Amino acid sequence: MKYPFLSTFLLAGLLLCSACEKDPGIIIPETDYSEILINTGENVILKTYESLAIKASALQTATLDLENNPNVSTLETAKAAWRSARSPWEQSEGFLFGPVDQEGIDPALDSWPVNVTDLNNVLASGNAITVDFLSQQEGTLKGFHTIEFLLWGENGDKQIADFTTREFEYLAAASAVLAGDAQKLYDLWKPAGGNFISNVLEAGAGSLLYISQKSALEEFTNALIIIADEVANGKINDPYSQQDPSLEESRFSANSKADFADNMRSIRNIYTGVFEAFGNGNSVSNIIEAQDASLNTRVLTEIDAAILSIENIPGTFSDAVFNSPNAVSAAQQAVRDLQATLEELVLPIISNL
Amino acid sequence: MKIIIPVCLIICVSASCKKDQIITPELPERVFAGGETTIFSTGPDAFTFPLENISQTDLNTHFLADGAFAQHFVSAPATQFGGLGPLFNQNSCESCHIRNGRGIVPAFDGDPNSGLLLRLSIPGVGEHGGIVAVPGFGGQLQNKALFGASQEGKITRTEQTQLIEYLDGTSLSLSLPVYTISDPYIPLPAGVLISPRNAPPVFGLGLLDAIRTEDILALADENDLDGDGISGKPNMVWDVLAQSKEVGRFGWKAEQPNARQQAADAAHNDMGLTSYYFPEEHCAGQDNCQEGLQAGLDVDEDMSTLFAFYFQTLAVPAQRDANNPDVILGSTLFVDAQCSSCHTPRFITGSHPISSLSNQTIYPYTDLLLHDMGPGLADNRAVYSASGQEWRTPPLWGLGLTKVVNPKATFLHDGRAQTLEEAILWHGGEAESSREKFRTMPKSERNALLAFLEGL
Repeated sequence: MKYPFLSTFLLAGLLLCSACEKDPGIIIPETDYSEILINTGENVILKTYESLAIKASALQTATLDLENNPNVSTLETAKAAWRSARSPWEQSEGFLFGPVDQEGIDPALDSWPVNVTDLNNVLASGNAITVDFLSQQEGTLKGFHTIEFLLWGENGDKQIADFTTREFEYLAAASAVLAGDAQKLYDLWKPAGGNFISNVLEAGAGSLLYISQKSALEEFTNALIIIADEVANGKINDPYSQQDPSLEESRFSANSKADFADNMRSIRNIYTGVFEAFGNGNSVSNIIEAQDASLNTRVLTEIDAAILSIENIPGTFSDAVFNSPNAVSAAQQAVRDLQATLEELVLPIISNL
Repeated sequence: MKIIIPVCLIICVSASCKKDQIITPELPERVFAGGETTIFSTGPDAFTFPLENISQTDLNTHFLADGAFAQHFVSAPATQFGGLGPLFNQNSCESCHIRNGRGIVPAFDGDPNSGLLLRLSIPGVGEHGGIVAVPGFGGQLQNKALFGASQEGKITRTEQTQLIEYLDGTSLSLSLPVYTISDPYIPLPAGVLISPRNAPPVFGLGLLDAIRTEDILALADENDLDGDGISGKPNMVWDVLAQSKEVGRFGWKAEQPNARQQAADAAHNDMGLTSYYFPEEHCAGQDNCQEGLQAGLDVDEDMSTLFAFYFQTLAVPAQRDANNPDVILGSTLFVDAQCSSCHTPRFITGSHPISSLSNQTIYPYTDLLLHDMGPGLADNRAVYSASGQEWRTPPLWGLGLTKVVNPKATFLHDGRAQTLEEAILWHGGEAESSREKFRTMPKSERNALLAFLEGL
């Protein structure tokens, strides 16, 4: 989702300026943002995708265990593995550009809604449920939400006795496909693989995608605004404004609050240049700090406030849209505040670098 | 840096960046390719911004529309977003229009991620002067189906190559894809006409929608009365709501008269979504058209309107590098080689219900008319007034950002051209003399022309 933020006049001026830069009489000092690009690319983006690949692989193992030895314990382990893999994915939604977007991986991992009718038809058929078969299906028959639907059931209360053999098979195959897609995403980014990261690292110095370092920093910042918008005006707003839990993305597992909070953490990770134990802090935050220290503090405070207000929503999000409208409104507003700050105050600074 | 910008502005404006730089008078205006709607973005998200001058109300609708354009549809019955198929090409708009830019041609036979589809017909003239659908297949091959239904067939691609020699002795090998259908669910009738179509970019379509019909017709010269070797004729196509023939604007052969019908047609044929424009499934009557049917329309009028509203309100990125000497030379060569005779640079839009689109001076580089492009590009499948060799001039704005937005994107209706240079060399028919001018240019001039296109 996008928004008009650019002052045409200012940018037209910049455009003319860039022509002037060639005039030897005018010297504009070029700031080198390499450290920010390197840290954000290598320590935040790449490590998040690595974590996703590792945890998706653990989910694959857990669903295989569940298939081979179905009991309450293996089911709980599989559910926990799903939540665990879900977290780095949601923390990657603050940078939904590159292979995840261009290679069709986002729909394969995270299509919504689940195609329940076709899923039931597959389960009821004699069709072999294999990795090969699911690889060729639409995203709405595989990925996080199909696995979630199978683990928790439509109403979130599925018991181990409710599972059929074919559901176990489906879970294992879908998790294997998910693990493969997550690994593919990581491989496409990493230097020894598809090396998409080179586009970021070489921004303004040979990158085909980013004609300048600023252009890459703008993409980072825009992506933060996009996810803030998506959480406030999509993920929270759709079920809340229409009072319809069927519009809630992770409702089977009641994981929506964790999803939203991890989306906010994704913003923090990119903005501050830290993901879990990784990252040296070289980030967009440094640029803002240098130009407007109070704005930097404001962004950090608003990220924390957004996470806190999401986590303060009582009970499940499905219940809260009916029973705790004030808390849901407050969370939505906190995310909107953050979005507005990023859009109206942070992005112009990046765009004018 | 905050201080430098205004200073620089003053210097640039007052000195006009040196008097000895010769700038084509129109160039500063050309930078704003979409007039006041233009956005300044050069990155991979360049095609994803709303109109710069959009109203707050329309911006809110644009956000909703963005969700609709990205929505994945599923089989009916469904709690939400049911109605996909039973036969379809992709399950969302953005699956083909990657980041609102071009689609990807199949990487292998049966590639499920491709944004290329095959239009089908059998020879003859159908209702309202349109095509005659293929019995059992309709007017388009749907290469996907809901579980339990049979896809109509697989898209298969073979290639032929041919060599183009420049006057300076260098040469270039062009690859011609030949698309066929394998594993059809029932035997294909003999003589089926196949037209491969790659998903085009969708930004700026609101502005094209806002061009006055009379301004398009004023450029038509069907019998080449001015003797320049270039004709140009409108495709007269069926307007479903008006129930009359109107000037076509959208699609590779200008088969759709307006943005809303374009959106409804794509939803109908590509995703199997019925709407008030097209209330009947495209595969109605076929044996493989039984799964996932539901009473009523698959998408309501609001959703159908939103699909169109999204691309109507997507902004055009500004021209870049306008002051680069190569780009300036290239813009002159573009006119000298008569590229601009079909790729009409400038229009002023009329009034449009989306007010931001009204009265804008725009640089789309298209006349929206049909031209004979010769046998090399021909699909040999006529649609309404368009012959098997005729194609609508595609807009060129944003062209240089194509591969920034989607590195796998390629050019021309079937995505056969890997580069803009290849795309030019495929031009024939009415554009043959333009192509020959390019082919016989010295390398420096060819590069200048390409630099101009890359800056669009």
